[in-house]
Amino acid sequence: MLSVENIYKRYADNKVLRGVSLKVNQGEVVAVIGPSGSGKSTLLRCLIDLERVDEGRIIVGGETLVDTQAQGYAEKTALRRIILKMGFVFQSFNLFPHFTVLKNVTEAQERVLKRGRQEARDYALQVLGKVGLSDKASEYPYMLSGGQQQRVAIARALAMDPQMLCFDEPTSALDPLLTQEVLRVIKGLAEENRTMLVVTHEMAFAREVADRVVYMQDGVVRCEGTPEEVFSHPEVLAFTSQTPQPE
Amino acid sequence: MCSLPFFGKRFYPMKYLNNPDRLASLLAQLWQGLGVTMSLFGYTLLFSLPLGLVLALMRMSRNKAVRYPVQLFILVMRGTPLILQVFTVYFVLPMIFGTAFERLTAVVIAFVMNYAAYFAEIYRGGVQAVPEGQREAAHVLGFTRGQAFVRIILPQLIKRIVLPVSNEVITLVKDTALVTAVGMVELYRVARNAASTVGSLEPLFIAGAIYLIINAVISFLFDRANRYFAYYQG
Amino acid sequence: MLLFPDEVCYDAASAQAEIRKKEGMVMKRCLILILSMVMLSSLFSSAIAQEDTSLTDILDKGKLILGLDASFPPMGYVDADTGEIVGFDIDLAREVCKRLGVELVTQPIDWAAKEMELDAHHIDCIWNGMTITPERLENMQISLPYLRNDQVLVVRTADGYASLADLAGKKLGIQAGSSANDALDAAEAFKASLGEVVPFDENMTALMDLNQGGLDTVLVDVIVANYYMAVNDYPFTVLDESLAPEEYGIGFRKGDLALSEKVNALLLEMQADGTLAKISEDWFGTDITIINEAK
Repeated sequence: MLSVENIYKRYADNKVLRGVSLKVNQGEVVAVIGPSGSGKSTLLRCLIDLERVDEGRIIVGGETLVDTQAQGYAEKTALRRIILKMGFVFQSFNLFPHFTVLKNVTEAQERVLKRGRQEARDYALQVLGKVGLSDKASEYPYMLSGGQQQRVAIARALAMDPQMLCFDEPTSALDPLLTQEVLRVIKGLAEENRTMLVVTHEMAFAREVADRVVYMQDGVVRCEGTPEEVFSHPEVLAFTSQTPQPE
Repeated sequence: MCSLPFFGKRFYPMKYLNNPDRLASLLAQLWQGLGVTMSLFGYTLLFSLPLGLVLALMRMSRNKAVRYPVQLFILVMRGTPLILQVFTVYFVLPMIFGTAFERLTAVVIAFVMNYAAYFAEIYRGGVQAVPEGQREAAHVLGFTRGQAFVRIILPQLIKRIVLPVSNEVITLVKDTALVTAVGMVELYRVARNAASTVGSLEPLFIAGAIYLIINAVISFLFDRANRYFAYYQG
Repeated sequence: MLLFPDEVCYDAASAQAEIRKKEGMVMKRCLILILSMVMLSSLFSSAIAQEDTSLTDILDKGKLILGLDASFPPMGYVDADTGEIVGFDIDLAREVCKRLGVELVTQPIDWAAKEMELDAHHIDCIWNGMTITPERLENMQISLPYLRNDQVLVVRTADGYASLADLAGKKLGIQAGSSANDALDAAEAFKASLGEVVPFDENMTALMDLNQGGLDTVLVDVIVANYYMAVNDYPFTVLDESLAPEEYGIGFRKGDLALSEKVNALLLEMQADGTLAKISEDWFGTDITIINEAK
């Protein structure tokens, strides 16, 4: 489904990604963990063209997003098509504050996917139901709690029928109480066999839900494998022993 | 009022309140002057509001060939007095380009350029105030840049700029009095002429009251607009 | 796409620094540019010495555009009751235009910009109680003087001042930028003897202040003084001692000799057949025109 090969990215003198390779297969849930500054978020953002890579190849669902050794980045229409294969959930939700919850979920459907108003509306309500917020459809984002907002963000991404979902530290901006409701939703999606790539600090969550875990540090993948394998790796142990683990 | 010593004949000659016909004539003249003021006001806003947006977008362009001239233009327009710009358009440009501008045309051109520059900076500030995350969300959802700007950024922008724009609009009402310098007879000028004729300040106060009413209406409208946009926060 | 940038291209701090640096350079350059353009334009206007079509232009156009500051009663001002521009100069001009066979069009202008309006051909003449001064003679073609004017000192009758000497150490009000200033500057000894010279935007407000006691005297055209004293019934007296007398003339574009000469001829005509005297009596009660004296 997703193939990332040898990604290099530099911000001025800072080498953020130094040869990162990654594969996500259909139906897999891959968790990416690691200390801050390891490049996890940057990697994720490169996948949907929020950042541009300096070197490497990214193939999404069979289509090449970028291949620096061949034709470079895909051109505009192909690029948008590839971006639409993935749904993205931000750490800071990024809901549209001037739209109701419902409109947040229908707007892109109507404008980008060109769905009819009724069709988009029905689907939106369906997806909001899935995240447990269909009763909030006519409220504005500012009225909701952080956890609710993030769930709306997930619904917004789901409504576009992506082949894969990317989560950029979805719960890092939430206090512990609200974190659980979001994790529950993500877990539910995992059980539906969706392809997902989750960058997170929630180790327990990663251990429980991920099929594979990737540990990154200093812009490279230090180790990857099943949760058991990775979480018993010495470097990972060193990392996790520093971070407080929620029970 | 005639019994108040301060307004007595000794200190403050009253020429109109005792003479309803003359007062009516004055009001008719003021009304004409107001027409000039309002047409200048209307044309200026009509053209400078959209032009300001175009300038703001160009100002934020990554293309230096586009950005630098616009930056310079905005700098000059905001950094030099409006009266000087009016003079330049009205007196100097015709010397260079050979065509004479009608007074209203010249003045509108100068005002539009000046106010567009101010609006451009207001828009730019507003755009910068809209969080980057909004653009990113629009991007990942597949919106084109144009769609993102019109449907996502612009509505949030408008909410943020209502207050700064209202300030400029109120300033504009008062700036219209500047055009007496090129001989246009707008509200203030009419009042001043009348005052000179009768030797009393009354017309100026009446004109002042009219300006106040206009600005009160404008403030009220903007306040309504502001409250409309309060339907959401953030 | 050029028109829809997705971000600001550089951070605010460096932008500020760049702009501040440019500000200094650009401001200076702009000022020089504008000044040179203004100088150029005045050069152009004075260099037109080829063919003098000034009179034929007016006749062809069918109208004479008279520029005035319409707040200068009784020479040219807005009638309070009708809203029309009227005045002594307007009546004179109307008669001249009738004899020329053209229409009189009055165009309010800003007094400070009168030369520029002339040179830009927005008006054809300045006819508004304009004092003839050496500087103006350099910049404009001026007609024969048609009215004598005195810069007089107006005082409150109650104060009992009778001569310039009585005003030593007193406060004098004057209209900023007017020919009264030139007259005052010329009378050095008198000016030095004053306590304070207070500039006003308008003669009218200066006289109001005199009435209220904020000033001790006002230096102003005698014609204007008489007008406001009549209109407001001010308890003022005009001192007999006046400063240097001056004359009113009509201003034309430099080089518009034909037009100026024709107007002069018409004014002399009007003087000869008594029209001039009649208009003067209408406005001032007596004939104070001086058109024949210059000959």
